[in-house]
Amino acid sequence: MNAGFRSQVAAVVERDLRRERRRGDVVWVTIPFGAMALFLLPLAIGVDTQLLQRIGPGMYWVVVMLFGVLVSVGRASIETGAQRDAVSLLGLDPAAAYVGRSMSAAGLLLVYEIVVGVVAVVLYNIEVIGFPWLVLTLVITAVGLGLLGSLAASLVSSSSAGSALVPLLVAPLSVPLLLGATQVYEGLRLGRSILPWMLLMVVVMLVTAIVGVGTARPLQET
Amino acid sequence: MSDWGWVALAYAVAYGSLAVYIATLTARLRAARERFEELQ
Amino acid sequence: MPSEIRSRSWPWVAIGVSVAVALSLAIVSPADTVQGELVRIMYVHVPAAWLAYLAFTVTLVGSGGYLVTRRLSWDRVAASSAEIGVYFTGLAIGLGMIWAKPTWGVWWTWDARLTLTAVMFFVYVGYLALRNTADDSRVRAGRSAVLGILGAALIPLVHFSVVWWRTLHQPASLLRPDGPAIEDPLILWALLAGVVAFTVIYVALMVKRIELHQVADSIRDFERSADRPVAGASVTAPQLGGGLGDE
Repeated sequence: MNAGFRSQVAAVVERDLRRERRRGDVVWVTIPFGAMALFLLPLAIGVDTQLLQRIGPGMYWVVVMLFGVLVSVGRASIETGAQRDAVSLLGLDPAAAYVGRSMSAAGLLLVYEIVVGVVAVVLYNIEVIGFPWLVLTLVITAVGLGLLGSLAASLVSSSSAGSALVPLLVAPLSVPLLLGATQVYEGLRLGRSILPWMLLMVVVMLVTAIVGVGTARPLQET
Repeated sequence: MSDWGWVALAYAVAYGSLAVYIATLTARLRAARERFEELQ
Repeated sequence: MPSEIRSRSWPWVAIGVSVAVALSLAIVSPADTVQGELVRIMYVHVPAAWLAYLAFTVTLVGSGGYLVTRRLSWDRVAASSAEIGVYFTGLAIGLGMIWAKPTWGVWWTWDARLTLTAVMFFVYVGYLALRNTADDSRVRAGRSAVLGILGAALIPLVHFSVVWWRTLHQPASLLRPDGPAIEDPLILWALLAGVVAFTVIYVALMVKRIELHQVADSIRDFERSADRPVAGASVTAPQLGGGLGDE
């Protein structure tokens, strides 16, 4: 990565975070929506503490995978075709744009995971164990989901941004992340090996990044 | 339901759905060809 | 015209013949010692599952082919295989459920294979949904190709994760749906005949579906060019008579 690429990535990240500060989609919409989802489930299935403690972690990660990925959608919908054309004419490397969008998505997702995580721990009385490993899991899933979500969002035209298409595209492909994250928690709880799951999630990250960066320019040239 | 009943259900689903798919595909193809002829 | 119709109907004839053979063998083959008559469901379920995976692979190849060559014919192959693949994947899942209910008493077992097939189904559906969102053939082809590549790259990882997950939670071996113990050669022949028949069905459906894409693309190109003004329309005859600015 040369200095030009890095500064382009930084510019994209700065633009995305500035947009979020102005519109507050993640803070005012996506996070509350995730918290709401966690809140509704006990209303539907019952408030038995043992049951909630059992399903809490899994429910939390499902909410992250399905609704957290909306973090990537809100931003892509802002870019109209004309804006994207203008930006590409200015010489923005599409691969740098993808990396930048993924990184800002990952950052926003991490915030999402932390806030919604606190809600989950409270509502479901989840035991927080193996704190360093959990933090690492939060970071890895945020990056992986950020990469997946940004790639999916770049495929969906701005007119479909309101639909559930991006979550639909991401959900089946995020299964390894979902299983990895939940199995890490289970492993910490039961004293089982968590390294294979961590490695699997990192591989998902890398594979997604490679596909995203590799197809960024061909995609734009369509 | 007897075992043969389940087998019959399975084959009805398999070949029945296939027949439906072939029928709709043929219909779509015919409609498309007709539309193309019109445009010529 | 008659020769056209004849040449166009070879796919259907091929389907008819291979299905007839497969059905005969399915009826004639003996019941399995463990599963009884239910083994006959395998003669359609296994081929459907095999085709689901084949179709997925073809979609991957078509996606790669388009990104490399930019020829729309590759995209048509990818898209046709995806639509047919959705059908076979859904069929495999449905037939798996019909087999599971009398065998295990439940419609769904969450075993690795079934779960993986369900994930594949959703990936396919997403692929088709994505294609609906773009009007321009090239934009649609490019986006679909990227999704095809991404799906193919991640599916092996999905496979690993699901298999590991089920290995951890493996209950008594009773709930592991195994294939038939192939003791009688006729059972093997019935299975193979089913696989051959379904492969013939796949090829025939592909031929027709690709043709449908070709005709639809030709229609779209025609309508597009008809909308555009003719090149000479920008030149109009000079207006005679009238003063300045009398338009």
